[in-house]
Amino acid sequence: MTELKAVYQQRYETVLRPVASALEKQLHEYLEGAERIDRIAARAKSIDRFLAKSQKIENGVPKYVEPLRQIQDQIGVRIITFYISDIDNVAKVVQRYYRPIETHALVPESESEFGYFGLHYVLHVPTDVIEPSMDREMVPEFFELQIKTLFQHAWAEAGHDLGYKPGETPLSSDAKRRLAFASAQAWGADRIFDDLFRERAESGAISSGGLGGDEARGRDEESGEASVSFAKGWGN
Amino acid sequence: MAIEHIHTYLVHPGKGSENAPQIGGANVPLNGQLFNLLGGIYAKSDVECDIEISFNQSEQGTQNNPCRDLIVAYLSGPTIPRGRHIADRLELATTHRSGLGLLFLIAGTEGRQHKVVISRFPANSAILAEEDQRQLSVAFLERVFMRSATAYKAAVYKDSSLQSGFWMGRAIDKQLNSGVIQLSNYWIADFLASDFRTTSAAGTRRLAVALRDAAKRSGNITVKSEIAAAVTLAGSLRGRTLSVREFGEQFGLSNASKEAIANEIKAPGLAEERFPFDFEEFSKQIAYRSVELDSGGILSAASSDFDRVFHREPSDAAPEMVRFSTEGRIVSETLGKQR
Repeated sequence: MTELKAVYQQRYETVLRPVASALEKQLHEYLEGAERIDRIAARAKSIDRFLAKSQKIENGVPKYVEPLRQIQDQIGVRIITFYISDIDNVAKVVQRYYRPIETHALVPESESEFGYFGLHYVLHVPTDVIEPSMDREMVPEFFELQIKTLFQHAWAEAGHDLGYKPGETPLSSDAKRRLAFASAQAWGADRIFDDLFRERAESGAISSGGLGGDEARGRDEESGEASVSFAKGWGN
Repeated sequence: MAIEHIHTYLVHPGKGSENAPQIGGANVPLNGQLFNLLGGIYAKSDVECDIEISFNQSEQGTQNNPCRDLIVAYLSGPTIPRGRHIADRLELATTHRSGLGLLFLIAGTEGRQHKVVISRFPANSAILAEEDQRQLSVAFLERVFMRSATAYKAAVYKDSSLQSGFWMGRAIDKQLNSGVIQLSNYWIADFLASDFRTTSAAGTRRLAVALRDAAKRSGNITVKSEIAAAVTLAGSLRGRTLSVREFGEQFGLSNASKEAIANEIKAPGLAEERFPFDFEEFSKQIAYRSVELDSGGILSAASSDFDRVFHREPSDAAPEMVRFSTEGRIVSETLGKQR
């Protein structure tokens, strides 16, 4: 554990933080001119969060045998859009410039559940963001990128803060139901805003600025995959 | 070099075939002339395989790749049957056009790292000539497998972790140099279920930005002109794979121009990364070409059309002076604060 901490600490300072910063800059360039993006933010996973995650137990055995290789969100990037339609436009840019090994539209498991929504990628760290002076062995192969609307992001952040901090008392059933209710409201708000945006863009009242297709609109309906059914925090 | 296993398989074309032939397989002894040849390929593979590739995600978007699974399974205990699964996969991806091939799997370790070289020798025909003191005899040979200069294919994977690693590798595909990518899609795309690690958009953007910035920052008018001319001709690169360095060579740029471009690339290794050229992305990054004359005139047109739109000829006034001319209907005129 001490050795893992020392290695990660060095990686955090010398590689993860500068690479995260370079990725954020690169995404700003790639998405230049894209409208209705609230923010692009990248971070290096904190040392405490990484160590906590590396100790995770699953089915009675350690989840990560090689945490420095297996934990793929040592660098995390978030892109927050205004509307659901915008997610598709951002996703197209991401897929154009980065190579994914995983693409996952996270939605609650059943249609009657509400919880975490978001489009997640695990992408190769591009060589352009690696400084020649960096020890390549220290640079993780992958980073995680999330694309969410403002409402999806707001719900995930608050939900994570309230219920998913390590060591805290688990949420009661009633509290979970209230969080699910808040998620349903955020989902509904996203729909209303997206409908309004589309109506006004299609009537020419506002600039569409690259209106997303039905693909984006229906993503949560199309995916029936098992997913994190509640908040999946970013784990700073 | 520490080669531990070499297995070989004769792979027939099997794409679209219902009755693909059963593949045998054999061990190659770790000594002798064949071993020396394959040892050379193994040793040089890190340099010779010049395309960085990575395995694709599954169709469902999960972290699974059928070819990676076979390679990792083979490396966890290299045997003829495990290698045969890789050969079977190659057979199903091989068209009649690509023909018969001899597949070698060369596995070893380098320090903590596992390494495998996957190498395909295409079948060829040859003439054997034997001469003794009295006569020369010739014979036609079929099924000769040669390390063809135009169709040789290989891939190398090296990683310390069989569990988490082996997502990236390097490949060589001589057919890619022919400029017709479709010819060899079966090696990287179909068989290896991989793609270039640097996407065509990312690689092309890197090239275009380097060219743009080099032309902007250079104080040398010859460098600016050379780069501008190369940009105009870039449409001919559609469908080609190249690196930033190869772009300069392709258009015979001077050393000064190549240096100006290289100076705009953050790390020398980035100039060597190969990617499929994306003309759409290129045009987006370098949409317009402008020429400013000391007379105060500025000419501007889409980069790819500039030489067609403006006719350039030497002027009689002085050797270094030029005359541009163009013809067309006026569609707009603007006034502005800035150029």
